[in-house]
Amino acid sequence: MSRGLTATGIEVAFGGVHALRGVDVAVEPGKVAGLIGRNGSGKTTLFNCITGFVRPTAGRTTVDGVDVTSLPPDRVVKHGIARTFQTPRVDPRATVLSAVLCGFYSRVGASFVGSLLGVPGAWREEQRLHRRAEPILERLGLAELRGREVGQLSMGLIRLVEVARCLASGARFVLLDEPAAGLTAAEQERLAEQVRAVAASGVGVLIVEHNIGLVRSLCDTATALETGRVLCAGTPEAVVRDERVMRSYLGAIGDLAATEAAA
Amino acid sequence: MSFPGQRYLGPRPNTLIIAVCVLVALPVVLTRPVWTDSAVVLGVYALLGLSVGISYGQAGILTMSQGAFAAIGGYAAAILTTRFGWPPYADLLVAMALPAALAYGVARLVTRLSPLATALATLALGSVIEILIRNADALTGGYIGLAGIPSVGAINTPAGYACLAWGMIVVTVFLYENLMCSAYGRALNVLRVDQARARADGIDVPALMSAGFAVSAAVAGAAGWLYAHYISFLSPESLDTHISISALLMAVIGGAGYILGPIVGTLLFDGLTRLMPAAELQGFFYGAALIIILLAARTGILGLLAGLARRLRRPDATPAPRAANLSPQESLP
Amino acid sequence: MLAIAEYVVRGALSGAIYALLAVPMSLMFVTVRTIDFAVGAYALIAAAVCWSVGGALGLAAGLGAAMACAAFMAIIFLALKRLGCEDHIIYALASFGLATALASLVLWWWGTQAFVRDAFSDPWSVGGIRLAPQGVINFALILLLVGALHLLIQHTSLGRMMRAAAANQTGAALASIPVQGIQVGTYLAGGLLGGLAGLLVLYSAGLDFTAPLGLTLSGFGAAIIFGIGSPLRGFFGGLAMGIAQALAAGYASAMVAGMVPFLFVLLVLTTSRFGEEALAGGRP
Repeated sequence: MSRGLTATGIEVAFGGVHALRGVDVAVEPGKVAGLIGRNGSGKTTLFNCITGFVRPTAGRTTVDGVDVTSLPPDRVVKHGIARTFQTPRVDPRATVLSAVLCGFYSRVGASFVGSLLGVPGAWREEQRLHRRAEPILERLGLAELRGREVGQLSMGLIRLVEVARCLASGARFVLLDEPAAGLTAAEQERLAEQVRAVAASGVGVLIVEHNIGLVRSLCDTATALETGRVLCAGTPEAVVRDERVMRSYLGAIGDLAATEAAA
Repeated sequence: MSFPGQRYLGPRPNTLIIAVCVLVALPVVLTRPVWTDSAVVLGVYALLGLSVGISYGQAGILTMSQGAFAAIGGYAAAILTTRFGWPPYADLLVAMALPAALAYGVARLVTRLSPLATALATLALGSVIEILIRNADALTGGYIGLAGIPSVGAINTPAGYACLAWGMIVVTVFLYENLMCSAYGRALNVLRVDQARARADGIDVPALMSAGFAVSAAVAGAAGWLYAHYISFLSPESLDTHISISALLMAVIGGAGYILGPIVGTLLFDGLTRLMPAAELQGFFYGAALIIILLAARTGILGLLAGLARRLRRPDATPAPRAANLSPQESLP
Repeated sequence: MLAIAEYVVRGALSGAIYALLAVPMSLMFVTVRTIDFAVGAYALIAAAVCWSVGGALGLAAGLGAAMACAAFMAIIFLALKRLGCEDHIIYALASFGLATALASLVLWWWGTQAFVRDAFSDPWSVGGIRLAPQGVINFALILLLVGALHLLIQHTSLGRMMRAAAANQTGAALASIPVQGIQVGTYLAGGLLGGLAGLLVLYSAGLDFTAPLGLTLSGFGAAIIFGIGSPLRGFFGGLAMGIAQALAAGYASAMVAGMVPFLFVLLVLTTSRFGEEALAGGRP
């Protein structure tokens, strides 16, 4: 069967409103796929659909050939799909280390009662998790911050912590929802570097992004959505230069540019 | 520095603190009968406070039924020992398991709702249990109650009970801290702040919340068991809604999100109540204190202290360099 | 057959009180997305003050006292908001504290006695069914009030603003609708309606210092049975609860009747999808 994360013919309707109408998107291991489109074009709905938060009315999602359509979110994670949210909501008192440790949840072997009683097995596993979190923190350059409270970090760092958390879940595919929103240029560059490194380690990344420059420099493929349909898909260059995308994405400015060009 | 059991207690600061405090304070308390009696009653309240801490502070379930869970534990103890002749420590298991099972079942049904709806469900559950206890004359003795509950084995003096009560508290804090230092404890904190994030982490939210609530109910049941054996008499007024409310208030005032917060709240509050002129006004002071603490320090007294400590450690640190609207629920302790 | 009819009618009459309490509950839930636990306490304060003062002046004094308590709650709410608290459960907790404090004040000042007054001594008899005159008056008054409120919410600009603020607070604020003012108004309305309920209970069944929490919960139960969205649904919810309670008292036992409001709350909460949107955490 095909390797990678594929969503084919995804349709979602809320009441009478069609949020997605036959969307196809694919992510290969080790590659970064971009998802662009105006607000309300269905990017986040597609994310919600793939991760099980929203049930599609039609279409299917597979991970390396395994059907995960309509599984609840907590089961989807076990198939190696992790995600971040557009607006991270964090427990301000949690430390960076514990936020990353949270990502291990789906792989914890100790039982609830065992953890409560502090049986040696649970104890050892906890120490093992701490050891396994270290390389992830190192990889994303968060090792120095492991003891800091998440509430004290900048938005850019919080988003990096969220990425680290996804990696901790052992995800083979990571879905990032506008990770660069509200970040400074330097922070964006740092994030892009980390995402590249993550992909280089064999993880497939699907990323929603508004920053065209970032999409160009980061993504291997791109898909543009408009009002729940795929407008066009291909290499980032081709998609970004596509006239329909320009018009949809840039809206009035695109029209203006086109008019000026015609004149 | 090293001490026996360091490997286990080293990363368990709260257990260490409470164990040392109990070891230091108990010998002093036991020198006076009045203090000893207070220590037992306070122990029961502190256990109930801890049960609120687990449920509200960690799992985010604002519980108003802890008194009812304690009553179930107490009546289970009373009925098993007086009617069925069970030895008075074997009944502890039932006294904990019964409320836990009930809490788990109800929580499975209501935790998919908003936190507010869940809180109301616990209030309704507590009220139903109270009415049932009042009316099940054949089993609970109705309004008259049950008398002659035997003492726990060799422990039959107030001093013995004080040691038992605070020993139970140390053990509870140890287990509680174990849980919070595990993946499940962290997961509870995640789902309290953001259920969507919790589900994306792979957490079965209703199941885990219910498990947390069940643990909380088991602790409340243990408190009821202790109360029944110590007082040796149980009536519907012993452990009622009033107790649920006090336990909730004490936990919030001390800092429900901190493991030792409810114990601090209980000790402080009891001290204040003793200074009060009229017993009728107790509720007034409780309510006023709750409102004041919500306005002045939403994370409770321990939250206030922790904030002060943080500022002392890093005097130059700006208090909140984080983005607005980052965590709408941060107000939860 | 006559017995059933009598139970139903009596239940409907007593259920009107729940219906009245349901109104502030649903208003509060819709506009502030929280619960004012103190509504039952406003009722108790109104009843106690009216009982002490007596006469028409007593009615006004009772309502005034209830409104004053509600105003205090509104101030707490505003203060919490000013301090940056957006957690609705904290508002509920604060109102819970106020309810506890108020009940305790009543206990301290008036003691454990029940507050009850009778304006009529002889029951009316309609078609063989004996009716308490006060119950009929309560029912008529409440029906009138709920009807008027329903019209107010559905057909006036104030009502439109309330509904807009309820549907989307940010959007409403952007449309220069005074969201905060409406929320404060809702707290005050809770005092007025809660106080009124207290007065009506004073002249019918009576109440004591233990009543507030039960009254609050009954009002909430009535509000959610048919969906918390509108006062009219709350009205029918209250009637349904009253009738169920009367039937339970007649055919089962006083114990079951006492449990009816709580069982309603549990039943509705465990079976409905009430508040389930919260699970998505308001995520887009």
